[in-house]
Amino acid sequence: MDPFLTSRIVTDVLGGLTNGVIYGMVALSLVLIWRSTGVLNFAQGAMPMFATYVGFALLSYHFGYWPCVLACIIAGLLIGGLTERLLVRRLYGKPEINPIVVMVGFLIVLEAVAAAIWSSFPRSLPSPFSSIDWQLAGKPIALSPFTVYEIATGLLVMTAVAVLFRFTKLGLQLRASAVAPEVSRLLGVRVGRLLTLGWMLSTVVGVITTVLVSSNFFTGLTPQVMDGIFAFGFIAAAIGGLESPVGAIVAGILLGVVNQFVTDLVNQNAVIIIALALLIVSLMIRPSGVFTKRTERRV
Amino acid sequence: MRLDRIRRLAPIAMVAAVVATVLSLVSAATTREGVALSIAFDLAIACVTTLSLPDLKSSHPVVSRAALTLLALDVAIFITFFLNSSTNFNLATGAAMSIVLLGLSFLTGASGQISLGNGAFMGVGAFAMAIWSNHHATTPIFLTLLIAVACGALVGLLLGLPATRLRGPYLAGMTLAFAVAFTFILSSFSSWTGGDSGLQLPTEATAPRWLDGFFHAGTSPLTTTTLYITDFSIIVAGVAFFFMANLFASRTGRAMRLIRDNDVAAELVGISLPRARVAAFIVSSAYAALGGALLTLINNSVSPQTYSFALSVTILSLIVIGGIGTISGAVIGGIIYAFSTNVISWITTQTGLNPQGNFASQLNGIIFGGLLILTMLFAPLGIAGALRHLWSRIRSRT
Repeated sequence: MDPFLTSRIVTDVLGGLTNGVIYGMVALSLVLIWRSTGVLNFAQGAMPMFATYVGFALLSYHFGYWPCVLACIIAGLLIGGLTERLLVRRLYGKPEINPIVVMVGFLIVLEAVAAAIWSSFPRSLPSPFSSIDWQLAGKPIALSPFTVYEIATGLLVMTAVAVLFRFTKLGLQLRASAVAPEVSRLLGVRVGRLLTLGWMLSTVVGVITTVLVSSNFFTGLTPQVMDGIFAFGFIAAAIGGLESPVGAIVAGILLGVVNQFVTDLVNQNAVIIIALALLIVSLMIRPSGVFTKRTERRV
Repeated sequence: MRLDRIRRLAPIAMVAAVVATVLSLVSAATTREGVALSIAFDLAIACVTTLSLPDLKSSHPVVSRAALTLLALDVAIFITFFLNSSTNFNLATGAAMSIVLLGLSFLTGASGQISLGNGAFMGVGAFAMAIWSNHHATTPIFLTLLIAVACGALVGLLLGLPATRLRGPYLAGMTLAFAVAFTFILSSFSSWTGGDSGLQLPTEATAPRWLDGFFHAGTSPLTTTTLYITDFSIIVAGVAFFFMANLFASRTGRAMRLIRDNDVAAELVGISLPRARVAAFIVSSAYAALGGALLTLINNSVSPQTYSFALSVTILSLIVIGGIGTISGAVIGGIIYAFSTNVISWITTQTGLNPQGNFASQLNGIIFGGLLILTMLFAPLGIAGALRHLWSRIRSRT
């Protein structure tokens, strides 16, 4: 009989939690942008990837891990803001496919430029914590200092976003300009600026996610590092309901746990297939998402 | 008036046909070649004559489209006889790709939705073709192609059913997830799909004997086979385009365009939104599968690395640059695809970039991605839309 902490179920849940937090953050950043600007940002993985490359370029000037992370976040703020100002702003009010196509184009350009500058070989980043699992009575429990760092940072970011939106004046303005841009504008909210800020914010959430993913010893940083994770993030956001930040986070974490069980019980290849099947089933049963109330559309 | 015109046209066409026949029979080296030449010329003359009949487009649109398709096929096949085999090979892949592009163009043009997974649907067709031919090598090519198309349509139904009912970017996201998942699906069923190495077709589609007669003695069988495959692909593409042109103009096609422009109005006149959207998506997946199956036939093999997410993105770029929602955009996109590799390597040599360097290997992505963004921002209807705009300005000036 296994001790509780090293039993198969607990190991899977803990391992899944780590991935789940990552998916939850990607889903959250997608939902933030979708709610405020009605754009599903297909470059939501690529923009942070680029910022992470830019930030960690400081490594060659002998900066440590944490200054590099700070540089990544600053780069993310810039990329997010510039993208909204120069690219996305022209797309508001256009047919639904225009922003999709432009953001896919942006995704290709960013990945190609990153590969052109830094090559497409995986680049290993210094990890601030060890990725070797802790042991309990000679058996690993699926937690290492690094995964604790991942989970803790993820929860911290999610809480910070929640606090920002719920309890600050800025958050109120952000929500107001997403729900009723016209009215907010009349009440003196500078909607344009807030949209830019929303994109910066969501890119930073993405940057933190990418830094967590790519400082993992086993993945490293590649131009395509976020492609698969983006797919899982979208699946989580769609299952949770694109309108609901809480739904996105919960669905992301659950998806991570489910994936871990699938990896353990079936194999690695089946993970995305099962996730896709889950998405299909959930859209069939609750098209508007598990965590959102049904809304009637007005004409 | 109309009869008059026909009476005037008929003798001219007759004379032209006789002259063409005599000339080609006299000038050709062998009788076989002469007969082929005269058939090509006479068919072209017949098509041009039919097309120049007054009011044909409005009174018999199907006949007009058929004549146009025949004329285009005739000219295209005639040209392929004068090209070298590497150009022909490029044209064949371009023809296969243009079918895929046409499907995507229809999806967007007819229902305002977009798919980011058509590369994967292509893969469904490509692998269905390879798997079926490996198990039943004697099935005629046309039947195998149809089976591949059916597989594509089936997968399209499965994915489209939940996603197309929803407003918003669900279909785009879901097809993206499918495109990312596709390589994993392939390796999950590696006993069928051959794993990383993919599959070979059991028998190469070789040229029939009669084709040899059109070449000088000693022409390599490879040239003949490439020519045969190219012309076969062009004919399949022609048939696909003919069907699509009719579908665009049919009642269903018009209903779908109404959905794109105003879905509420469409529902009010009795169109079932979900059904029409799913139908459009199935057509697009089926066309993608046909293109993929054709590509398997052209390459004589199929490899899972081809059908990555990058291919889906390339497909999107091609149709947007060509002109999304238009039929001619698919032709333009197919031609761009056929020659893009050559053009990009030409750019690499001209600018003196190291062909093995990072930048040169990413040039494809940078150019296509950049063009994708610029086209969507400044000319959303692509090259086809720009040409149409130019044409209408020229016409209004005179």
